[in-house]
This record gives sequence, C-alpha cells and structure tokens, in this order.
Amino acid sequence: MAHSLKPQCTPLKHKYDACFNKWFEGYLQPPPGGNSESEEAQRQWQRDKRDEYERTCGKVWDGYRACLDGALTEKGLDDLLQQAREENPLIEAEPAEARH
Amino acid sequence: MVQYFSTAFHYDHPWSRVQVGMWQKYPNPQCAHVVSVDVIDRSVHPETGVIRTERLVGCKQAAPGWAIRFLGGTEDAYVREVSFVDPRTKKTWIHSTNLSLCEYMTVVEKITYVPSTSFPHTRTHFHQTAEIQARTKLWKTVGQKIEQMSLDRFKQNAIRGKEGFEGVLRTLFGEDNMQDISS
Repeated sequence: MAHSLKPQCTPLKHKYDACFNKWFEGYLQPPPGGNSESEEAQRQWQRDKRDEYERTCGKVWDGYRACLDGALTEKGLDDLLQQAREENPLIEAEPAEARH
Repeated sequence: MVQYFSTAFHYDHPWSRVQVGMWQKYPNPQCAHVVSVDVIDRSVHPETGVIRTERLVGCKQAAPGWAIRFLGGTEDAYVREVSFVDPRTKKTWIHSTNLSLCEYMTVVEKITYVPSTSFPHTRTHFHQTAEIQARTKLWKTVGQKIEQMSLDRFKQNAIRGKEGFEGVLRTLFGEDNMQDISS
C-alpha cells in the first residue's frame, strides 16, 4: 500500500486502506439472491452495506483524516485543493464520458 | 495550444478485479514517480450506491527539471484525483488534475474502466485521455516546450502505468483465475 504524504500518517492510512479494501470487495459482490432480487431489495442491500462501511471503517477513517489535516496545511495543499474544488467540484461523474 | 493524448487498451481481468486492484496500484516498481497516495474524501451515494473518492497523489514532478527550476516549483507535485465507481452499472470514471504549478499549466486526465463488450466477464476496457495546456502567463515558446515535454513524459508514464498495474493485478489475482466476483 502506498505511503501517506505525511510519514506519521502512513500506519493509520494503511489501517484505513485495509478496512476499505476488505469492505469494497464485499460491496462489489452481488446481493444475496443475485441480481434477480427486486430493485428495492437490491437498494436495501446497498444501504446496509453503506452502513456497514460507516460502522467498520468510520473510526479508522476519522483518525487517519485528522492526522492528514495538519499535513495539508503545512504543505500549502489545502488552499490549492480549495481552489480546485471551487473550479471543478466534481460531485458527479460526467455522464457522456462514463458511457464508453 | 493544447497537447492532446489518448489511448485505449484492455486488461485481461474482469472489471471487479481491476477495481479491487485500482486501490492497490501503488507502489509498484514501474511507477516509481508516485511517492504517496492519500484519500482525502470518500462517500457512498445513498441512492445510487456510487462510491466517490477524492485522493491526493504525490508524484515526482512530471515537468522537466529545468522547467521546474524556471517556474520556482518543488520536486514534489500533487494531483487531485476524483473517481466514481458504480457497482451497479460497472463503470468507473476518474478525473485527475494537477494542483502543483497549476498557475502555469493544467494537465487534465480522464480515465474510464468498463467491462469489455465482447468479453464482459473476463476483460476490462481502459480508455484514457489527457489535455495539457500551458497558461498564458508563460512566454509562448517556453509554454510550448513545457507542453511538449510534459506530454512526452505523460506518454512514458502511461505505458509504465499499464505494465505496473498488470503486475499488481497478477500479484493479487494470478494469471489463470479470471473469476468475476461481481457476477
């Protein structure tokens, strides 16, 4: 797993990455009952998985993110990031580009 | 003038595995220019289930050394990468742009990963475009030279990126086991 830009945050980052990666593999698997489940059942399954992510990785994420905060300010990256987000928030994927 | 770069190829792995691998792509020996990767924001959309991830990728500068010195930049450059992974439609869209030296030039890279139309369960189609443009603050000739050299560097890294990522996928999943975990 890649290092954090702040070496002190790397152990926390690795812990978070491991938690996310494990959850993500499960998230890509089809809901129990497969894709034949009703739309609503699939959505509910997705919501449950989302809650599971918050539950299992939320705390690790908070720790990692808090560590990172100071580092972004130190390197002057928070201002650059803010500027980039204002220029292009990228809240959603560009639909036309995502449909290849 | 804008320098434009585009490439497309496929990975012989199902989409789901390429996605799992995507988060573990670095470090890899082919992409030594990537020195750090941090997740700065991540959310799962309550309705669509799409995962939006914002990352900061720390690289050794893509711009040539003389240009960095000329512009007063530093060795480390940071890229803001925003990705959208849609597990339902199996589509991934990634937008990356440079934060460092952004007052002088912009590099916008867009990537999509989708299951191949011919072999949707075993093959993933990759499409990448990049636009490199020096801003007008630069003298024209210097700007063009930086654009061209950055484009050359970008092309080299794109080839290394493919080789490096294939190595990561092989380590994670081997060559033979092509089972698609999402089907």
